[in-house]
Amino acid sequence: MTKTGRISRRTVLRGLGTAMALPWLEAMGQTSALATPAGPSGNPAPLRMAFFYVPNGAHMADWTPKQVGTDFSLPLILEPLAPLKDDLVVLTGLAQRNGNALGDGGGDHARALSTFLTGCHPLKTDGANIRVGVSVDQIAASKVGDQTRFASLELGIDRGAQSGSCDTGYSCAYSSNISWRTESTPMAKEVNPRLVFDRLFASQGGEGTAAMRARRELYKKSILDYVAEDAATLKGRLGISDQRKVEEYLTAVREIEKRVDRASKPSDGDRPDFARPAGVPRDFQEHVRLMCDLMVLAFQGDVTRISTFMFANEGSNRSYPFIGVPEGHHDLSHHGNDAKKHEQIKKINRLHVSQFAYFVNKLKSIPEGEGSLLDHSMIVYGSGISDGNRHNHNDLPVLLAGKGGGSIRTGRHIKLEKETPLNNLYLSLLDRMGASVDQFGDSTGRLEGL
Amino acid sequence: MRRWSSSPFSRCRRRQCVAVLSLLCACGVLARSASEAEEPKRAVQDKASTASFSEQVVPLLTKYCTKCHGEVKPKGRVNLAKLTSESALASNAKLWQLVIENIESGDMPPEGKPRPTKQELERFSHWLEASKAQLDCGKESDPGRVTLRRLNRAEYNNTIRDLIGIDFRPADDFPSDDVGYGFDNIGDVLTLPPILMERYLAAAETIATQAIVVESDSAGFVKTWETETLDGDSGGAPFEDWARVLASSGEISVPFVCPREGEYVFRARAFGQQAGPDPVRMAFLVDGKTVRIADVTAESANPQLYEVKVPLNAGTRRLSVAFVNDFYDPKAKDPKQRDRNLVVDALEIQGTAAAAGAPLPDSHKRIIFRTPTKETRDECAQEIIERFAARAFRRPLTPGEVARLVKFVHLAEQSGESFERGIQLAVQAVLVSPQFLFRVEIAPRRPSNDKRPLPPTYLINEFELASRLSYFLYSSLPDDELWQLAVKNQLRQGNNLEIQVRRMLKDPKATALVENFADQWLQIRNLKTISPDRKQFPTFDEPLRAAMLKETELFFETVMREDRSLLEFLDADYTFLNERLATHYGIKGVRGAEFRRVALSEGSHRGGLLTQASILTVTSNPTRTSPVKRGKWILEQILGTPPPPPPPDVPELKDDGATLSGSLRQRMEQHRANPSCASCHARMDPLGFAFENFDAIGAWRDKDGSFPVDSSGSLPTGQSFQGSDGLKAILKTREKNFTRCLAEKMLTYAIGRGIESFDECTLDQVVEATTADQSKFSRLVLEIVKSDPFQKRKNRGAGR
Repeated sequence: MTKTGRISRRTVLRGLGTAMALPWLEAMGQTSALATPAGPSGNPAPLRMAFFYVPNGAHMADWTPKQVGTDFSLPLILEPLAPLKDDLVVLTGLAQRNGNALGDGGGDHARALSTFLTGCHPLKTDGANIRVGVSVDQIAASKVGDQTRFASLELGIDRGAQSGSCDTGYSCAYSSNISWRTESTPMAKEVNPRLVFDRLFASQGGEGTAAMRARRELYKKSILDYVAEDAATLKGRLGISDQRKVEEYLTAVREIEKRVDRASKPSDGDRPDFARPAGVPRDFQEHVRLMCDLMVLAFQGDVTRISTFMFANEGSNRSYPFIGVPEGHHDLSHHGNDAKKHEQIKKINRLHVSQFAYFVNKLKSIPEGEGSLLDHSMIVYGSGISDGNRHNHNDLPVLLAGKGGGSIRTGRHIKLEKETPLNNLYLSLLDRMGASVDQFGDSTGRLEGL
Repeated sequence: MRRWSSSPFSRCRRRQCVAVLSLLCACGVLARSASEAEEPKRAVQDKASTASFSEQVVPLLTKYCTKCHGEVKPKGRVNLAKLTSESALASNAKLWQLVIENIESGDMPPEGKPRPTKQELERFSHWLEASKAQLDCGKESDPGRVTLRRLNRAEYNNTIRDLIGIDFRPADDFPSDDVGYGFDNIGDVLTLPPILMERYLAAAETIATQAIVVESDSAGFVKTWETETLDGDSGGAPFEDWARVLASSGEISVPFVCPREGEYVFRARAFGQQAGPDPVRMAFLVDGKTVRIADVTAESANPQLYEVKVPLNAGTRRLSVAFVNDFYDPKAKDPKQRDRNLVVDALEIQGTAAAAGAPLPDSHKRIIFRTPTKETRDECAQEIIERFAARAFRRPLTPGEVARLVKFVHLAEQSGESFERGIQLAVQAVLVSPQFLFRVEIAPRRPSNDKRPLPPTYLINEFELASRLSYFLYSSLPDDELWQLAVKNQLRQGNNLEIQVRRMLKDPKATALVENFADQWLQIRNLKTISPDRKQFPTFDEPLRAAMLKETELFFETVMREDRSLLEFLDADYTFLNERLATHYGIKGVRGAEFRRVALSEGSHRGGLLTQASILTVTSNPTRTSPVKRGKWILEQILGTPPPPPPPDVPELKDDGATLSGSLRQRMEQHRANPSCASCHARMDPLGFAFENFDAIGAWRDKDGSFPVDSSGSLPTGQSFQGSDGLKAILKTREKNFTRCLAEKMLTYAIGRGIESFDECTLDQVVEATTADQSKFSRLVLEIVKSDPFQKRKNRGAGR
């Protein structure tokens, strides 16, 4: 193997649209790649759904556009999205009421995150019986996740807390996990790009002859059968809370069994021409970009259709010295209306948005069917806190990118009635994913006028 | 273990109404009527105490406490109104503990409010002592509910190390374990999402194939590391996006888990950016020793292979290549002749026929300890699997369980593969079984003819106890000695438990208690992610970060290993330093990178945990100290009296100088003028102010910006102090608070659940016994190990 004259990772990614076959077309019996676009008579591209989370709220005065409707200008924080304005809907007035204390006292950061996608009020506990609710991405994953090799993909930048208390009286599980598979099982996020890459694209059957691969598969299935039986026997001898743990184990085993079945077909074609990442980059922006690249690759190759991404754990005190913010984010977010602190927060907000713009732009640059990958996506970006100083969970900073397969009219700033449940938006998105539910958290109906 | 006299509350437990905590109130009532019927004498006593309660205690509560801490908008959300009926005593043990601590420390009632007279206080504490003895510490205390614990990352790594004999550290790539009650080993919080199951499966496969040699595949063994995929700390710097470059000196290293002793070919694909008279020279090193120096004549972007044959021992080897003849002449005329560099594209190791014929690795011999013949295959398979799985599951297996695993050997053979391959599969299956991944504790089966009522609790069996003990102190499975005692059912016999605990605390594996308990208790695991502002703190760098952690770990370890007094954590006349940290502290005479014990002089301002840079740094913000965080840390981690959460919508410190001005401290004091903040901050801030002479990375300072540091303060008790030395002197008088706080943290860590009201008795006993034994470290550990929560479980029937 020689690597001379290798093209850079970014070049490859830009060209990827033509390098990778589209599995969803293949599965439908078509072998052609993009050279034959899926026309009106062809099969529609599947929808993708992702949720990007930023901690500690935003400086709302420079987030919320002044004008409503299609003719609006992007305020300072949203400016990096200017080239993508026509692909966005800025949603003002959304609230996640279950993030409020409701008698539970402090802990707004833990509640902001754990409520953001679950719509549920988390049980206040530092450990015993952690419980919130199934998150919207996991509802979608449970309904349509079996159509792809991975039901969903959970990504982030920070590992979970390593010690200490994260937010008064709440287990750190609440402030480091956005995605919840069941009300008590958070989906741990992956922060190492190398591991994400290996997980998504390492060749499934392994090397060797077909006979060797078949044998390995037989072994793998036998081992899974063995442990599933073990777990079932064990479960019968345990008390209720212990049983729940074994049930968690069994669910994970079943998930992998399904994946083994799905991966039976040879999958070398799935491996994109993308350099295997070297590990966790020191540079924050490079780290975020790599994770975004990987999510794009996963969507493009239809390895999964559902993903979440956390820029940082909720309450993060990360500093951003490379944009002139040496102070901690959380420390700053309690700004006490200090103009200098506002300025610093705006810089952080804008940085996150510009990285999101990188991701959205990447989706847009990849042709799919008659449009782009972005046209077949619904990407939510937001925070479960509005003003970091007040910790309020209404008037949240939320925006939506992508046309949802033509079902969303983008290029607008929609000002909703105050206190409109964020969960109404989720109901609308779930409908489009083919994963409708009647009710979610405090939803009062679908979000009108998307 | 010493028992407290039986009380009405223990009777209640016998009636099994306690299991559900929320029933405790009702339970108290039940208990009283039961005891009245059975033991009239006790009923009389009860009445007596009730009388003294309503006559002596309630008026005091009403007079001094419930005005602020009443039903309506209780301050700090502490409502003491519910304490005015004695029947609620048992169910509010934790709240009572809070009351006792605050009154004893003098924190409450706060300054400026009427305070009880000395006589009133005596009356109160007299009653408290008497009723505390009654509050439950009866014969049968509630051991609480420990949820099935999954091995966390550290436990998984250590367990694999001790089971297989190779330190693979596969869990370093697992997702983080979530934290509850400050620790990452809490049963309820250790969940198992599918991604983790994937990692378990992959790790099991890697471990099994590396630990056991299957003859057919060892000679052709090849492993390649593309250097661009290596982590940044492997050495060198990235070269474009496909290689790494060594520009001056230094080396690029990879760890290689050598499966078995033998001869290997070690290769590097490299080229030189040539300059000067000589070609680039590259050294091959194994475990730091040079085995060959090669002239790398290959030119830019056209790498060639260089190799050396080396004998390797089994285990983790460090393979490196180094650049040994740097050349730099910025004045050379030809720009291409100015700088000589080595660019390394890939490293590779390949097994040879000699490796294949070499002796088997220890891990192989340890697992496959008998070589089967045709006749003894099944018997061998059974023995091998039984021995391995028993250690992995940390309990003996039933014949049926062994038979199920032996099937994997049959499966491999039916597929035309070897016996060893079959054992590999069985090992893989064991390593992903729930019996391995969870620390299973099962209630003993009762014979069906046993009609006696189910007792509320039972002693866990000795295998389970051995596991609790070894995961507490080693974060790993039981070692041979523990295992043998459990096999003989002698772990609880005589003095054995104490002998074992003392032995284990001396074992090198007990460093796990430092890394996993101490690092989390003190929250210094967060050091890894802390990022002080480099402009304000230019001396902060990676060696300093590492040194900070090391000091605290060595200090804790010394108290543990030498069985010293826990009070040394609060203040000590020694610490551990290397040159880097000593310079940071302004302590002279420490040379070199290695750590050593250093005696601290009077005026050093150091000594004990509180003045260690690690803790001072994790409790700071990136650009400034945070007296609030430092104060809160002391309340939570040292005194065990956490402040209530801040009220919502509090204006924070302004930096604009408009309304608040002066030093950070002065601005905070202005902030405290806000009455809604005052009472909590009066507890937190002074504790933090005491350390204002230490900047955000723990270095000494006399000024905060342009303002002189004022590190004096006074506590709500009225005690005033000067600086950290003064505060430490006060904290040392709160010995009991500290021991109790540490006991709470350690009990939480040991049993993997949060502390509940019914644990107060256990904690009282642990603290009392520890204090009585000169506050020795071992005594604290022993008392926890002997306590009911550690020794017992609730019976399933008894209310889950």
